[in-house]
Amino acid sequence: MDFSCRSADGILVAAVHGRVDESTWEAFADRMTSAIDQATAEKLSEVMLDLTDLDYMSSRGLRVLTVAKRQAEAANLSITLAAPNDVMREILAISRYDKLFHISDSVDTGR
Amino acid sequence: MLVRFWGTRGSLPVAAKAGAIRAKIARALVAANGHSIANLEQAGAFIDQQLDFATGGTYGGSTACVEIESGDSFFICDMGSGLREFGLNALKRCADGHVRIYNFFQSHLHWDHIMGFPFFAPAFDPGAKIRIHSAHPDAEDALRRQQEEISFPVPFDWLRASIEFVAMTPGEPIAVDGLTVVAEKQQHSHDSYGYRFTDPTGRNVVFSTDSEHKADNMKDEAAFIDFFRDADLVICDTMYSLADSVSMKEDWGHSSNVVAIDLCHEAGARRLALFHHEPTYADEDIQRMHEESIRYEELTRDGNALEVLCAYDGLEVRV
Repeated sequence: MDFSCRSADGILVAAVHGRVDESTWEAFADRMTSAIDQATAEKLSEVMLDLTDLDYMSSRGLRVLTVAKRQAEAANLSITLAAPNDVMREILAISRYDKLFHISDSVDTGR
Repeated sequence: MLVRFWGTRGSLPVAAKAGAIRAKIARALVAANGHSIANLEQAGAFIDQQLDFATGGTYGGSTACVEIESGDSFFICDMGSGLREFGLNALKRCADGHVRIYNFFQSHLHWDHIMGFPFFAPAFDPGAKIRIHSAHPDAEDALRRQQEEISFPVPFDWLRASIEFVAMTPGEPIAVDGLTVVAEKQQHSHDSYGYRFTDPTGRNVVFSTDSEHKADNMKDEAAFIDFFRDADLVICDTMYSLADSVSMKEDWGHSSNVVAIDLCHEAGARRLALFHHEPTYADEDIQRMHEESIRYEELTRDGNALEVLCAYDGLEVRV
């Protein structure tokens, strides 16, 4: 699992690569917390999680997203999931996380 | 070991209404169009081969009761409404010579997990011996209380069987009539306990219902991975979707299909039985959840395949 962040158009775009599972979820959780802290410090309004290069995420990663969403909401930030691959789309549908998160088809900051 | 499911529904018994049965028949008739079905044997084969389970069968509506057949005595997990039918079946087996010893293991004492006991016919057999194993110190209080006059006409003291309460300590295995059993504490209101049963050949079954695995407490799941380690069958609470379990239904004390699959994957378990079905789910909903669970297992598999079964009232699984 690799993780990188960049700011664009008032949004923090965080890209996660590889897979998030039982061996990587703790590192992913740390990175998500750091990303939210960074977005807060830079007075941004949104964290967009770029899933383009994510192979898949198990329930470990999904539950990290839930904790991150709570952290983000406490900081008046929103989280968007962007560009999931077909596998990840299925996982989001099976877990019903597509009902909890806004999912964007592309990494488009829209500004 | 043979695992026999007598009750698989969560929270409250349910029964299919006439409209649901009518819809099944209608779907079956449409599917049979053009087939030649001349007798009941051919009809049975058509049901088995051509109809999905939600059309040709039902998951049932009795609350939690699972029998583990091993050795000479009876082993039963939980006393949900499925216990009534088990009790009647057990009486027939006893008439054929089965030993009249019943070893219960209680996950917890909520109503849906004890409501079958007042209707458990062997409790009136003066030759029966009933041992109720529980890690809850108030197990006897719970069973006596539900048979007090305000709730039920037959007091606990009228039962004729020899009834013994056996206190278990989580993490401390006990030997019971040929099986080794160990309890594991779980997250649930007033606590719940999972049980791992191991027979003399080393085969094992885990019963883990009414157990919540919270998003902000994932490090604690290491204990469950150890508890499920290399299990031949894990019977697991999969009542909600993951999204429901972390949002609207957080702290309701239940788990999801995807968390159960992840825990079984991480533990190297061989088979998972989805259990404690949501009472508002129709058969089609449970079937969809089963199909999605199989797909999720395929998508996230990183080792040996985990067979994902969906428990229904009447299912038997040979371990």
